[in-house]
Amino acid sequence: MKSDLIDIQVESRGNDVELTLSGSLGTAQLEAVKEKLDMLVKGPGCFFFLNLQNAHFTSDRYLEVFLELLNRVKAQKSTLILIFGSAELYDFFSKYLNIFEVYENRNAYKKSGIKKQLQQIGLHYGLRSGITVSSGVAVAFITLILGWMITLFLIISTQGHDLADKQAQIIALQNQKERYIREIDKLESSIGPLRKLGVVQDTTMLSSFGLIQEWVGYLEYLENTRREK
Amino acid sequence: MKPSLSFVLQLPPSTAYAKLEAVAENLLEGVCKALDSRKIRFSLFLDGPSLEAVGKVAKPLMLSKIRKAIEHGSLELLGGGFYDPMLPLFPTELQTMQLAKHSKLLWKLFDIEPSGYFNSSMVWEMEMTELLEKNRFEYALVQEAALQDALGRTTSVPGWYSVEDKGSFLRVVPVSQKLSDAIANDDFNWAQIAEPYCRDGKSAVVGMNIPPQPGDIFPFFERLIDFIETNEVETKTVANIVAEQKSEGRLSFLLSAGRKIGLPATAKTCRELLVRRPEVNLLHKMFMSQFHRARASLQGKELEKFFEMLLPAMSPIYYRDMQDSEGMRTPMVRWWGARFILAAANQLTDLVSFDGIRLDIADFMLEGRKFIWAENHSYSFLLDYSGGGILHILNAKDSENNLLSSWRDDGDPAVGFMDFILPNIEQQATRLDQQLSDREGLLAPAYDYQIKRLDTGTDIALQSEQPLQINAPSSKLRIEKTYGLSATGADFSLAYKIANAAEDSIKGFFGTLLETGLLACGYTSKDILVDGSPLKFNFRDPIIFPDASNIEIMDHVTESKLQLKFEQKASVLIAPIFGASALAAPEALQGIRIYPFWKLSLEPTAERDIRFTVHISKR
Repeated sequence: MKSDLIDIQVESRGNDVELTLSGSLGTAQLEAVKEKLDMLVKGPGCFFFLNLQNAHFTSDRYLEVFLELLNRVKAQKSTLILIFGSAELYDFFSKYLNIFEVYENRNAYKKSGIKKQLQQIGLHYGLRSGITVSSGVAVAFITLILGWMITLFLIISTQGHDLADKQAQIIALQNQKERYIREIDKLESSIGPLRKLGVVQDTTMLSSFGLIQEWVGYLEYLENTRREK
Repeated sequence: MKPSLSFVLQLPPSTAYAKLEAVAENLLEGVCKALDSRKIRFSLFLDGPSLEAVGKVAKPLMLSKIRKAIEHGSLELLGGGFYDPMLPLFPTELQTMQLAKHSKLLWKLFDIEPSGYFNSSMVWEMEMTELLEKNRFEYALVQEAALQDALGRTTSVPGWYSVEDKGSFLRVVPVSQKLSDAIANDDFNWAQIAEPYCRDGKSAVVGMNIPPQPGDIFPFFERLIDFIETNEVETKTVANIVAEQKSEGRLSFLLSAGRKIGLPATAKTCRELLVRRPEVNLLHKMFMSQFHRARASLQGKELEKFFEMLLPAMSPIYYRDMQDSEGMRTPMVRWWGARFILAAANQLTDLVSFDGIRLDIADFMLEGRKFIWAENHSYSFLLDYSGGGILHILNAKDSENNLLSSWRDDGDPAVGFMDFILPNIEQQATRLDQQLSDREGLLAPAYDYQIKRLDTGTDIALQSEQPLQINAPSSKLRIEKTYGLSATGADFSLAYKIANAAEDSIKGFFGTLLETGLLACGYTSKDILVDGSPLKFNFRDPIIFPDASNIEIMDHVTESKLQLKFEQKASVLIAPIFGASALAAPEALQGIRIYPFWKLSLEPTAERDIRFTVHISKR
């Protein structure tokens, strides 16, 4: 079986797919490598990292395989990045170093520039969704979205301030109300004995009675005042 | 003439896992008693966890007494692996870490650097020479039988010999097993046995196991002192022997399979365990897989920290064909071993920020053919695609347990999703269980694999044709078996497309077998649910439940839960797996066998689809 000839590792995470080939790869494994790589680049993934750090090639025909793979990956608007750092592999790929993107590891590529990676993601999802957006439009969209977000943030922030002010006012008014109630209670208690002796006339009661026009309301009023006492 | 003996005392490594502080307290009292008697000089080996416990419980005077005894040469502390592992089974980095960690602890507690190497399993391979020399050991204790093999004689081997390998040199001191057994068993003939070793003023080296139970330790030392006083034995430490006696000769080659690891006398190396016991081999390969992955993806302190996490999984109890908490025949030991490795694996996943799907197609088992190692954030499994598309490992990452950890007495590993097609006759549970155990009607074609990467996950599609002997001699099935891995969930699907590729119709029962190690460490009557209701299962007799759509097994000890959801209702056989060859516990439950099966009736060129989901979670 062809698949029994090669050691291969696939790691998919989000937009990244890392394929790792290892071992000594000669003409006997060529077809298996080609078949498996073709199979693995199908499907989702924007950045295909081909890790060859632990691979040793004994045939130049692998260069053609990787060139074909690069074309295939580019056709699906993804990018192929070769991962290795050994002098032997630099030597092996020397003819095509200007064609392939080569990095020592995945992090080195991630640090190599956000702009090109964003562009790549845009291209890839453009192809997958069928919506293609030029850079200018994309920038305009991003500016618009950013503008919306900032406006929204400002609105929320202003409303937050208003709410905080209102809250403070409510608290102040409640405190004031409690203070008045306490003062009224104090005044009532101080004039209570005088009222019993008939020295002071309770004008509030009179005025209240005067205002009450119906019996039910009047009885409720009496009930409440008794309860308070 | 007084016989001269050199006692090497050691605590069995299993003591590292129970009542360790009580063991250490009693051990210190015993050692102090022996030192106070001033009649015994001996060498002592304690593994790292035991030494740590000694450091924790020792009173200051005790430690200073031990330090003084070491200075005066009446006590020698031997070095070795921190977890006392069989070092030849592991890579050099980890071997060195084990030795260095143990040595560092001895330095911290007693201000000494050990010169003698001891390993309770007594395994030896020539590569050890270079390793031990690099770690500044001067001599190693080995089995006398290994030296007898190397020297080509059966008579007693006194003194010490020298070995060299790749330019490195080491002294090897044989421990007489015969004399050790005679003294341990109070054999009155011990003096006659010791005589050939003690000629010309030489000393015999005797290995004694300190009992692991705290209450037995102090009496052990009392008996030992009594033995020495009664028999007027002269005692020396092994370091004394090496310093005082001359070399008996040189050895060109030395190999020892070790002792007390469950290997027959014919075994030549400890690697025989990996060949004989697939459970040990699978754990070892899982360990090695984590080691290699970490070495490829981590560096510096992160790598060192990760290796530290792997060290406990090197303890010899995980590599022995033994029972009763001493070896892998015990379900609890298998669980402990898997737990250490999976805890490390989870740590590695965090360190490399892995959150997707990973497939590794490589010779995982180091046996000359490829396997597929698949994992996502919740589970990992080892798929043997060329051996029937079956799983040999199914790890639940959250509960840190290998669900396929059952023990089979026939020496085959436990399996997951091993397919069978059995004749279309009325099946009784006991008969069916026996057929599965005997692997009758097994469908184990060599599949070729395809990997299909999808937005929702990754499919591993296996395809093959399998000739059948079920109805007509020319029956043939074309099987597509697809493992569908989820990128986000804790489940995977298993889909079969079974087509009749012959001219005759095929009738039978198609099913797939899971030999789980679940419920082997303890169970209740409510641990198996079928369609949400507890199954009335007595854990002795196999039963068949017809028309089930859902089966759950919940293991409260290992906190693992396995659930199978069938798209088409299935009959399910649930049967206990017993370890029949276990002498101490002949009917010890080793796990639960689950076998969902469906009636299959295929006319020529007809197809049948079967699909179910496997959900793995923490209970």
